Amino acid sequence: MSTFDIKTFQGLILQLQDYWSRQGCVIIQPLDLEVGAGTFHPMTFLRAIGPEPMSSAYVQPCRRPTDGRYGENPNRLQHYYQFQVMLKPSPKNIQELYLNSLKELGIDPLVHDIRFVEDNWESPTLGAWGLGWEIWLNGMEITQFTYFQQVGGLECAPVTGEITYGLERLAMYIQNVDSIYDLVWTDGPMGKVLYRDVFHQNEVEQSTYNFEHADVPALFAQFDHCEKESQKLIEHGLPLPAYEQVMKASHAFNLLDARHAISVTERQRYILRVRALSKACAEAYYEAREKLGFPLCANATNKGDK
Amino acid sequence: MTTQTLLIELGTEELPPKSLKELAQTFLAQIESQINDASLSYESAVWFASPRRLAVKIEQLQENQEDKVVEKRGPSVTVAFDENGAASKAAEGWARSNGITVDQADRIKTDKGEWLLHKATVKGESIQSLLPKMVQQAINKLPIPKPMRWGSTRTQFIRPAHTLTMLFGREVINGEVLEVQSDRLSQGHRFHSEGLVSIEHADDYEKTLSSAYVMVDYNERQQVIKQQIEKAAQELGGNALVDQPLLDEVTALVEWPVTLIGDFDQSFLAVPAEPLIYSMKDHQKYFPVMDDNGKLLNKFIFVSNIESKDPAQVISGNEKVIRPRLADAEFFFKTDKKQPLEARLSSLESVLFQKQLGTLKDKSERIAALSQFIASLINENTEQAYRAGLLSKADLMTEMVLEFPQVQGTMGKYYAIHDGEDASIAQALEDQYRPRFAGDNLPEANIGCAVAIADKIDTLVGIFGINQAPKGDKDPFALRRAAIGLIRIIIEKSLSIDVTALIEHSIALYGDKLTNDNVINDVNEFVLGRYRAFYQEQNISVDIIQAVLAKASTAPLDFDQRVKAVAHFKGLEEATTLAAANKRVGNILAKFDGQLLDDVNADLASEDAEKALISDVEAVEKETAPLIANKEYQAVLNALAKLKTPIDNFFDGVMVMADDEAVKVNRLTLLAKIRSQFLNVADISLLQ
Repeated sequence: MSTFDIKTFQGLILQLQDYWSRQGCVIIQPLDLEVGAGTFHPMTFLRAIGPEPMSSAYVQPCRRPTDGRYGENPNRLQHYYQFQVMLKPSPKNIQELYLNSLKELGIDPLVHDIRFVEDNWESPTLGAWGLGWEIWLNGMEITQFTYFQQVGGLECAPVTGEITYGLERLAMYIQNVDSIYDLVWTDGPMGKVLYRDVFHQNEVEQSTYNFEHADVPALFAQFDHCEKESQKLIEHGLPLPAYEQVMKASHAFNLLDARHAISVTERQRYILRVRALSKACAEAYYEAREKLGFPLCANATNKGDK
Repeated sequence: MTTQTLLIELGTEELPPKSLKELAQTFLAQIESQINDASLSYESAVWFASPRRLAVKIEQLQENQEDKVVEKRGPSVTVAFDENGAASKAAEGWARSNGITVDQADRIKTDKGEWLLHKATVKGESIQSLLPKMVQQAINKLPIPKPMRWGSTRTQFIRPAHTLTMLFGREVINGEVLEVQSDRLSQGHRFHSEGLVSIEHADDYEKTLSSAYVMVDYNERQQVIKQQIEKAAQELGGNALVDQPLLDEVTALVEWPVTLIGDFDQSFLAVPAEPLIYSMKDHQKYFPVMDDNGKLLNKFIFVSNIESKDPAQVISGNEKVIRPRLADAEFFFKTDKKQPLEARLSSLESVLFQKQLGTLKDKSERIAALSQFIASLINENTEQAYRAGLLSKADLMTEMVLEFPQVQGTMGKYYAIHDGEDASIAQALEDQYRPRFAGDNLPEANIGCAVAIADKIDTLVGIFGINQAPKGDKDPFALRRAAIGLIRIIIEKSLSIDVTALIEHSIALYGDKLTNDNVINDVNEFVLGRYRAFYQEQNISVDIIQAVLAKASTAPLDFDQRVKAVAHFKGLEEATTLAAANKRVGNILAKFDGQLLDDVNADLASEDAEKALISDVEAVEKETAPLIANKEYQAVLNALAKLKTPIDNFFDGVMVMADDEAVKVNRLTLLAKIRSQFLNVADISLLQ
């Protein structure tokens, strides 16, 4: 059923993009900022707000500085990939659409034990929560599946369905390897390239930076600066650049966390500061779209009901 | 009367497993109560539940309500007609609203007059017309902590709904719930069955679903799973660790259970069993297997939801998941052992117990001192108690406990043994958190009791000391559980400890950190407030506890002895009369605002019954004095029970409120003396 060589990391990505493209998703490219999860991408976070429909799919590199292991742990990375799908409004057959994507990855549901296990999602920094499942493949979590209920403190109507594949995990399963670094990235006319060849040195160096060299006073200053900048931009009615500042502040916070520079009590305060910014951006974005008359709602009528 | 089987099934996306059973049971209870309210008879009612459905089946349900005659009274005859016998406007209006003319109205005569009357026949409604509303109502009443929306719907439910099956016998009952139109179609197994399956008759429900690879009967499915697990364990020559909450969860996660066995490397068994068991049970919902000596085997049993074409792949997949988790545990165990617990004390300084109350290091030091004090009260080794208290929180800084918080204390024990600490200190580290839940074991030894009590008192005093008492269901420091644990340990281990002394000692250890001047009283009252819950489990009625609470003893063991004594007393035949007498005496004394005598003056007694009572009370008083000193409360009450007849005779033959003031006061003094005799044990007047 697969068009691409799903036994390689890039083939897996291509297959997923191809599949979701055929379902009508906008295949967007990764966001060019450091984020901790695909949900931060404005295509998900902001587009989940308001009445306008949108469905998109994209790969998002994610950075979680505290997860760095200097390239020594076969299962953990400070930089990894998610494949993110967001469908708004969530179609009735969203679970079937997802299961069909697994079939295209060569996973036969009559061989493997695939389960939807309750797992509800909450992001304190994004002021967002949703209900859903983690999807188990023979006991292994390979995907997070969420019906957004609230984003940036705003009620979601219609509801966005979010599907987040953990690409490395899925690839490890399909390729049957025990270490991320042994994953085959590609195996073409120019030879075989492994995940190790592409990213191992990066893990070593970035872990060293995150844990040992990241400049703490500069990061605190950066956090404060981004916060101020974001607030200023909101006042100017510019939610998109204001939101970029939120993501930058959030990443600075993550780095400070990796440096153990934030105490337990301070931690909560920083989270609330980011949350306040996200909420302001969400509200400003809604107002901006409202001013434009929610143009995508007009398009929706000739799309038909999925 | 036509009867048929009624089937209602709501097909959904995967429901939260931990609430599935309650949802289905509530669904049934709601439907049943509405059917009862509608006066429809039926033979039996059952619920079904699986990950993708909630269902109810009612057998031999009456199709139509009986017709009913409803009597509607109109205006009185005097108002209904004028002197000429012509109908008034009021009468005509009333008749019209009932769809009759005034001539057609009946009359009703009572001793208060005569009225117009209409006997209206109300046609009974059918289940077909009643059901949609019933189902909607039942769904509205399901316990859903976090309702959700999906797509563009405005309706809310626990998970998206897809099918609604409503059958009365063969017939589909028309209706719409959660924006889903009813039909005879139902979801089969997600992978073993394609499309929706059609249910021809409500009676066929289980059979049809079974052929679509869904075991809809939750209890039956659970039995099947249990048998499969037992069989698998037998095959392995061991016993599966099957606890009910996990079994319930697994039952709620599968529609077609197929039990399989996986294994892991023998070498992981060098790690203590608890973290391994937790990672199997909590993370993966596997059932660990023990040998006959209770030693963990390198096997696990798990329940899949598929008759796989290649079970080996399902097994190897699951083994692959558990391996890195066990490897983590092994790694943590090895790393943690490199540093003794004692060396971790300084790192506790970086963790806050509570902002105003300091760090876990501060708390450890307080627990150490308090444990030492408690050990001295119960004749235990104070040095060991101090040491155990000091080390009690050190395992919280180990990698293992950071990863598996549930094994706190237990890992402390293992690491302490490894460090060469005394065995009783190591055991106390595990014991400190006991009892963790209702019915949990108590600490094994008294050093553990000392630390467990110290930890709980420190938390209670600290949190009450900064005025953060639990409110409503908000109890973030689990103070209720701590207080009940405290009571249980002291009573069930028969420790002579007065909580007040512990509170005072604890306050001193907090130095100037506490802001609540009333903390002794607040904590005592909070602890006293827990006795109701504690004794209700032992089927001791509330009035007995209230009778003892009136004495407010802050030594739990003493409290318990009083409760047992009063419970025994309540069973005596004299109890009812004496309780009433106590109440009567209490009321009489409450109304008297003069001065009682220091003691009864026998010379002032004139009546025989009065004289008799005085001497009987004196005798009983002599008998009970040593008993009270020895806290032999049951014997005290037995002795006091002997006063029943003299008290009865006194009230029958003697006028308490005599005209002679001196005589009256003397009699009142006598009554007060009797009352205080009872109050030495409890306020018997509160018994019911």
